[in-house]
Amino acid sequence: MTLRGPDVHVRSAPAGTRWPEPADWVTALSLPGPEQEEALRSLHTLMLRASHHQVRRMRSALHDLGEDRIVELANEAADDAMMAVLAKLPTFEGRSRFTTWAYKFAIFQCATAVRQYEWQHRDVELDDAVPQVASAPSPDDLAEAGDLASAVCDAMMHVLTPHQRRVTVALLVDEVPIDVLADRLGTTRNALYKTLHDARKRLRAQLVASGHLPAVGPGRP
Amino acid sequence: MNSSRKHVDLRAARLLTLDTEPYLSCAECFDRMDEYVEALLADPAYDDERMRTHLTACPACAEEAQSLMLLVAEDQSTTP
Ligand SMILES: [Zn+2]
Repeated sequence: MTLRGPDVHVRSAPAGTRWPEPADWVTALSLPGPEQEEALRSLHTLMLRASHHQVRRMRSALHDLGEDRIVELANEAADDAMMAVLAKLPTFEGRSRFTTWAYKFAIFQCATAVRQYEWQHRDVELDDAVPQVASAPSPDDLAEAGDLASAVCDAMMHVLTPHQRRVTVALLVDEVPIDVLADRLGTTRNALYKTLHDARKRLRAQLVASGHLPAVGPGRP
Repeated sequence: MNSSRKHVDLRAARLLTLDTEPYLSCAECFDRMDEYVEALLADPAYDDERMRTHLTACPACAEEAQSLMLLVAEDQSTTP
């Protein structure tokens, strides 16, 4: 997926908002007093805006949840994100607008909460067995599918460790979200992504060696 | 456990062999996401290979970056 910006008119001035916000967020949030209280309220409004935006995006994952519980989930995520922003405040370097920086914490908290909710009653199978080639590829796939898929399955057996197989199958075949899998395995999103990265590297090397993939990735010199 | 063997179709085969170099962790992606999104909104031709590669390979980070981009764009478009 390539991330592309929507077609919007971008102004050079900082983004306007519909609530009063301090010119210097870090100072306002750091120094006790009436300005800090006002800044905390404004920050909470920002967190709520981002978390409600996120639940709207992921609404289909919450189809069995009532409106009250959805609002509650978004509000809890906003509260958690507010704590995260305040804890990370000293690390804000001003490389983006404060609002953009703060929004990402609420989006992260809320998206994680929604994915955890969506999977809370679903089993995550952790199986290091080598998968097999799908028997009924779509018509478009017929020519290429059998060959590449069987080469991939073969490579999974020969070049991946059992742990790499478990992680790659859960993430890419069963499509378990990475944070849900991290939670079930008692590890981190970072660690799983690294496992996945290393596994992909091994699989690619094997498939390049067997002639199933070109030596250089598309768009790379 | 043959009855429950997982199946790899072409889509999964392509995902399994995606080129994810140069490497960027999810945490680094999160650290850089705000700056990346603002740069892309300011210039749609902006590129950061590490971010682009990670977002192609990590659906969770991609969802969060896309969401942030739309939220920031919404703010910008409602600026009086
Ligand atoms: Zn990621």
